[in-house]
Amino acid sequence: MIDGILTGGVYALMAAGLTLIFGVMDIINIAQGVMVILGSYLSFELSVHAGIGLLPGLLITVPVMFCLGVAIEFCFMRRLHDQDRTQMSILVTYAVAIVIEGILTAIYGVDYRQLSASYVNSSVHMLGFYLPDIYLIGFGLAVALLIGLYYMLYRTQFGRAVRASLQNRTAADLIGIDVNRVRMISVGIGVAVTAVGGMVYGATNAFNPNTGYDLISRLLAIVVLGGMGSIAGAMGAAVFILVINDVVAVWWSPTWAPLVYFVALVIVLSVRPQGLFGHAAVRAQ
Amino acid sequence: MTAAATAAGPASRRSPARLGAGAIVCLVLALFPVVITDPASTSIAFYALVFMVAASSWNIFSGYTGYLALGHAVFFGSGGYALSLLCSHLGVGGGWPSFLLLPLCGVIAALIAVPVGLVALRTRRHTFVVVTIAIFFIFQLAATNVGFTGGTSGLFLPLAPWTGSSFNTPFYYVALAVLVVTVGCSWFVRRSRFGLQLLAVRDDEDRALGLGVKTWRLKLSAFMLSAFFVGMIGGLYFDFIGQVYPQTAFDPLFDLSIALMAFFGGMGTIAGPLLGAAVLESLQQYVTFTFSNAAIYLIAYGVLFLVVILLMPRGVVPAVTDYLNRRRTRATATGGPPERLAGVAQVTP
Amino acid sequence: MTNLIEVSAVVKSYGGIRALNSCDLEVREGEINGLIGPNGSGKTTLFNVITGYERAQAGRIALRGGDITNSSPDRVFGLGIGRTFQLTRMFPRLTVLENMLVATQRQEGWLRSITRLAGSDSERSRALELLEFVGITRLAHEPAANLSYGQRKLLELASLLVADPDILLLDEPAGGVNPTLINHLADRIQELNAQGKTILVVEHNMEFVMGICSRITVLSQGSTLVAGAPAEVRTNPAVLEAYLGADEHEPAGGGAATVAVISEPPRTSREPVAAAAAPDAAAAAASSGEPLLRLAGVCAGYGGADILKDVSIEVARGGITCVVGPNGAGKSTVMKTISGLLRPRAGEIRFRGELVSGLAPKQVLSRGIAQIPQAHSLFPDMTVQENVEMGAYSVHDGALTRKRLAAVQELYPIVRDRAHDKAGSLSGGQQRLVEFARCLMLDPELIMLDEPSMGLDPQTRAMVFEMVAEMNRQGRTILLVEQNARAGLRLSTHGVVLENGRVRLTGSGHEVLTHPEIGALYLGGAVAAATA
Repeated sequence: MIDGILTGGVYALMAAGLTLIFGVMDIINIAQGVMVILGSYLSFELSVHAGIGLLPGLLITVPVMFCLGVAIEFCFMRRLHDQDRTQMSILVTYAVAIVIEGILTAIYGVDYRQLSASYVNSSVHMLGFYLPDIYLIGFGLAVALLIGLYYMLYRTQFGRAVRASLQNRTAADLIGIDVNRVRMISVGIGVAVTAVGGMVYGATNAFNPNTGYDLISRLLAIVVLGGMGSIAGAMGAAVFILVINDVVAVWWSPTWAPLVYFVALVIVLSVRPQGLFGHAAVRAQ
Repeated sequence: MTAAATAAGPASRRSPARLGAGAIVCLVLALFPVVITDPASTSIAFYALVFMVAASSWNIFSGYTGYLALGHAVFFGSGGYALSLLCSHLGVGGGWPSFLLLPLCGVIAALIAVPVGLVALRTRRHTFVVVTIAIFFIFQLAATNVGFTGGTSGLFLPLAPWTGSSFNTPFYYVALAVLVVTVGCSWFVRRSRFGLQLLAVRDDEDRALGLGVKTWRLKLSAFMLSAFFVGMIGGLYFDFIGQVYPQTAFDPLFDLSIALMAFFGGMGTIAGPLLGAAVLESLQQYVTFTFSNAAIYLIAYGVLFLVVILLMPRGVVPAVTDYLNRRRTRATATGGPPERLAGVAQVTP
Repeated sequence: MTNLIEVSAVVKSYGGIRALNSCDLEVREGEINGLIGPNGSGKTTLFNVITGYERAQAGRIALRGGDITNSSPDRVFGLGIGRTFQLTRMFPRLTVLENMLVATQRQEGWLRSITRLAGSDSERSRALELLEFVGITRLAHEPAANLSYGQRKLLELASLLVADPDILLLDEPAGGVNPTLINHLADRIQELNAQGKTILVVEHNMEFVMGICSRITVLSQGSTLVAGAPAEVRTNPAVLEAYLGADEHEPAGGGAATVAVISEPPRTSREPVAAAAAPDAAAAAASSGEPLLRLAGVCAGYGGADILKDVSIEVARGGITCVVGPNGAGKSTVMKTISGLLRPRAGEIRFRGELVSGLAPKQVLSRGIAQIPQAHSLFPDMTVQENVEMGAYSVHDGALTRKRLAAVQELYPIVRDRAHDKAGSLSGGQQRLVEFARCLMLDPELIMLDEPSMGLDPQTRAMVFEMVAEMNRQGRTILLVEQNARAGLRLSTHGVVLENGRVRLTGSGHEVLTHPEIGALYLGGAVAAATA
């Protein structure tokens, strides 16, 4: 169960990126899952072929993913019109995900890989449990980044600009906020977090280009459950879902575990369509 | 302006050119396997027909109501499993006898659509999309784990009695028959009161409700109708392949493909999904045969779609129709009338 | 006399706010009942509850004695009650005729509706008759999205009538519509009433309401204040108080003047005569010297079509210039072009002699031009203080920002009093004040206001105009766009009349206001009152 909380933290981070992009752009980035895998492959490439360790490798992968996010916003997301924007974005980002998956398959094939480092298999003995080091590191990173994200949004001028652009675009324009730039950077941040997620995920699971589907379905479940646009919601939902996942895996059967949390998602959404923490009202622009 | 004149509407829909093109297409489809007999080509044609049916019937729901359902593989796979189970429990052999059970597969899929719809249709817009995706994964996981579906190795379907190069032909014609029925139904819906209400729901569901449209019943009916045809063609597809197991029965790429095809051709139109499926599916099959490299077709697919969405956001068919219309009316086009005239001119009796 | 619709003790709350507080309403068969009340009194909420779009927490709604409380909207429609919406709604991708046909089916079987074509011949001809009735027949095959605002209102009304409802609930039918069309609408509504339909109208436009209604119900803060004949209601002191607030706003003269106050757009608290004289003097002073802002030959539009055609306007330094005109004239487009949200296709805009056309909004802002767009331009989930501070986003001097914030708090105490409340929770008038405060953080030389009085009741409107005059007195130049031409021009030193994208008339505020040609078409409230 502690495992659940720890991995929950990492999922929370990736989900936070997804929900941030939705909040600022009204766009559901289906490619988030495969981008995490891309992050894993990048870390893999650096550690195997360049000899750079996993953690230091982040200094490279994070900026790279940030640039990728910016590029995608500029090339595709910006072109989406306001009508049916969210639904269109699902199709567009799904297509982007396919392209990325195709490229990765072409380069790496379908074999499974896993990242390795000295601390991946060691663990800390605490409170009677064995906590794998990598989970702790991942969790620590995730928490640090989430706090950083929160700080940025609520305490900095840029963060205010982000919140303003999402609440009322016209007014933001007229105040002198460069809304396009704000959106671009927000998407960049949303994608950059996948670099971190990719590293941790890749170290704890075997992955291949196809794993993206499984990931995005979990991330979507988390984000929708927590309420789209709510970062706090994403965090809460992530932990909730992963704990359930773990509990079911242990008590019932590992293969049924993922099923249960989709069922939970469906149940929650039928009763409360805006998710646990989401807003019911449609945003006025 | 007499009432008769205004009731007639634009005549361009029934232009001779369009009817002629339609007739040619029908002729080609009907004679294809007779003219081109090599199994590879007829297989590709068969798959294209399957997807044309799937995309068209997806369009009946999602194209007309605007609710993007990304979980239709549920019905496709269920059709396959249903046929397999029916054949083994009723002792039905392969080939023509199994075809007779196809409508029953469709009905089973439509029945499955009832609980799925009851759950999913309570939500709107993008939440709806996510719920359909979630339900899809539930089915996929369930199929892997539950006994009667044969787990990961799946179930078999009875082998058809034909051999060699004539194996594909009956499948082709049955698929064509299903396509005719599906398109006919799609056309009927579009012209009917039912279809008008669906479109109204797409534009403004709450207002439609306020005008007396029973939106709940409407959406569920369209959903079931859509599931019926997908279920039927799913049965046929797996009958052709001979085996159904979770990965192929519930394939996320299927969900996306039919949406992309309908979208590519033009959502909400009748010809759109047909065009999209014909082009994209043939392309996919051809690329897989020639390059036998999944990666390349994935990249090509994604890139093609991105290009369409950016350049022709409403799909190919509407873009082409608009272009032709603009060329035709360019000479007679005038700017919009001043607002004042519109209110004043008609007022004086 | 039995009541056709009877609403008893209905309660509706949103979170902590009670929108309807034990509200009662009686609608009698065959009447036109007007529902009025200040902003926030619950009129639209009442409509939503009656028609089933919202659930009431308590109370009862009866139709001809039968309970219809909390029925779904389609059932309510099936029982013969049709409604229009405050923000006109139609089906944009369907043609006008198709819009009409959506409501034609009542109770029908599923299978039949699949096989029957949309709209039998008799239904189509009936739909066309109705389009004729409202006056938009020739648009029958246009996609509804191409219709102008006024035409959409007519379509919305017509598409209800196809199902021949007995009762019509009309939510602000005259809102945002030019005066000629208001006449037309009033006429059509009375015709429908003559045909036997019962009508309940929500409106802010007093002349319209008093002119066509046989009974008026006044709502205030979620409950019914009074209900009766128009003349009674107009002179009822409780009603006047609900609208006007405390005594100091009542001009000297009592009785007759109070009647005048409620049937015309209210003036500011200054003497009416002086308002005409003083702006003239200011106009004279201001027109000497270079105009602060000048548009010359500006053509601008969206997509292929030009909305502004060869527009030339001069805004005098230190004055208040008001741009008026009917719907679709291009008033808001002028503002968008000046502030950089829209790029002019031709012509130029000069501010203080410097070229500003084609600059990005940020750059226009830094030159000293600020715009307050039409309603809802605050950031609803941010606090009042955050909103105001955001006004100084482009100012990078912290000390200066703080100084300005202090000055603004002096001018608008609400900024200090409700500093930590979410801006979205404020009333319409209060939001407008915060918008002004936010704007002043930039210390702009030119302030552009897009319909500042929209959606406000008469009392708040007067306050808003007073604030505008105050900003002008402090030395700022104001460019104002107003639908309510009379009130806007009365306040201004200069007036510009825009019609269909062209400038038709310019002059001092008073000149434009009293120009004979303008009077008929562009001033608000042109419906002749049926009584006194």
